[in-house]
Amino acid sequence: MSIQATAAGDPQALASARREPSRAALVFAAFARRKVALAALLVLLVIVLACLLAPWVAPYDPSAGEVTDRLLKLGAPGHILGTDEQGRDILSRVLYGGRLSLLSGVLPVLLAGIIGGGLGIAAGYFGGWTNTIIMRALDIVFSFPAILLAIGISAALGPGITNIIISATVVFIPPIARIAESAVKEVRKEEFIEAARSSGAGALLIIRAHVLRNIFAKVFVFATSLIGVCLMVASGLSFLGLGVSPPTPEWGFMLNNLKQLIFINPAVTIVPGAFIFLTSLSLNLVSDALSDALELKR
Amino acid sequence: MASFVWKRILLMIPTLLGVSVIVFLMLKIVPGDPVNAIVPPDASEAERALVRTQLGLDKPVAVQYFYWLGSVMQGDLGDSVARRLPVTEMLLPAFKNTLLLTAAAALASFVVALIVGVYSAYRPKSPLASLFNGLSLASIGLPNFWAALILIGIFSVTLGWLPSSGMSKVGGGGFGDTVDHLILPAAATALASVGVLTRMVRSTVSGVLQQDYIFALKAKGVRPFTILRHVLRGGMPTILNVTGLQFGALLASSVLVETVFAWPGVGQVIYQAIGQRDFPVVQAGVLFIAVAFVLLNLIVDAVHAAMDPRVRQA
Repeated sequence: MSIQATAAGDPQALASARREPSRAALVFAAFARRKVALAALLVLLVIVLACLLAPWVAPYDPSAGEVTDRLLKLGAPGHILGTDEQGRDILSRVLYGGRLSLLSGVLPVLLAGIIGGGLGIAAGYFGGWTNTIIMRALDIVFSFPAILLAIGISAALGPGITNIIISATVVFIPPIARIAESAVKEVRKEEFIEAARSSGAGALLIIRAHVLRNIFAKVFVFATSLIGVCLMVASGLSFLGLGVSPPTPEWGFMLNNLKQLIFINPAVTIVPGAFIFLTSLSLNLVSDALSDALELKR
Repeated sequence: MASFVWKRILLMIPTLLGVSVIVFLMLKIVPGDPVNAIVPPDASEAERALVRTQLGLDKPVAVQYFYWLGSVMQGDLGDSVARRLPVTEMLLPAFKNTLLLTAAAALASFVVALIVGVYSAYRPKSPLASLFNGLSLASIGLPNFWAALILIGIFSVTLGWLPSSGMSKVGGGGFGDTVDHLILPAAATALASVGVLTRMVRSTVSGVLQQDYIFALKAKGVRPFTILRHVLRGGMPTILNVTGLQFGALLASSVLVETVFAWPGVGQVIYQAIGQRDFPVVQAGVLFIAVAFVLLNLIVDAVHAAMDPRVRQA
């Protein structure tokens, strides 16, 4: 009643009653208009949650096999995704294995985002020699095909998921730094930077208050597009035997282990790869839609 | 044209040096003392010091790098720890096989991308074009080692049409046999780039289709086939350039595919060396492919410049 009364009389209250939607809401609305992206986001959430909650969701112990249940096919009663040569439940192994696989897809991009983002900001903001040294050094890393560099570093450091994460981080630093550098160069031309500088603000303050805020969306969206690639690189390394050691489940290494069963049980063999593919495809779709949604508002 | 190529060759030298520094540093981050791999565990400190001096490990890292670079320039990439063979002897024949696989994959993805991309650009609204669009998007998230397993599952295990591993039958050989063994690995390798290429061909061709000279041709009533020839002539420099760059990416991604198909290439050699902790072989294999990648980019740039005068002047 009171709303109606004030709305009729006071134009100012009318304006505030019809509030502008927040930027986040606009971006999400633009994102949600793409049904495929929304479905991909849902798939992604289900996979991530199921893996995180593996101890509660998984039907069996991932490393305990039952000899009588060896080499079951897809859809076998009790083992919906079949079993491996030791009679271990594939679904349980995929769920537990997803934790390491997803970690090795996300963590390198996050670390590379921090390191590469920092290097890119320094190069873009200070320019001159700082820029030349940082960017030329990164160009050299860039002149390697990504997967090859990762194989080389990982093989040198020795097998282990930590070393996979380190080598994948190195691979993704240069692309992120490049994006950050070019974004900073754009922002640096703006008048508010000049204003801040002439009012005596230091470089660190300007970077924190103005530069970071203005390049974050661009770098973030680019980084999300790399997670799918990183997942493929990391599981590729693991597939080569550079990752976990048995019996720890992990998608790439499970594929390596199951490939010897391809003549016995071809459908079960490819299950862990289907999860790599589904996750990486969903990530690409989500990231694609996200970049479109954000650009709409720029 | 010649000056353009010379400039690119000169620019390549720092890149190659940088690549060599990184490959050298890979050896330096191997944990543990390399001397341990050579001397028996009960060797005295004096013996260890002698080995260390012989290997030049007592010198500063920068000096060690130039020693290493010097021997690499002379074609000496060290010896395999596991097989006691010069690394180059293992890698040169393998590299030939890798090139064969990569070239087949590049050709396949070029042909498929050209046909599908041109069709999708001509009929962007057709259901087939949106199907192709979805497929090429999906193929970008496709791990090629997994695609390799699926191809084996379908064509070797279920249908029994094609062999699943190696490069020739026992006692086989010859052209037809090699082709049989090449089809599946090449297809799996090509999958990594065919999606990217198709999207690129489609956008290039649809860009050319909107040019005035194409409208002029249509207005003149030229036959559709002749128009297509003009479209391709306009788009080809860009298309070939990206295909060439993809060739380099295929070279690297063949490493994983080779291990699935036991294709006797550099990737297979690297894979076995990783299992045996035979690091000189891994290092040399990485160097081989990285240098090939850099050289390939140079060739692609030169070809692009030869075809498109605008690139030469830039």
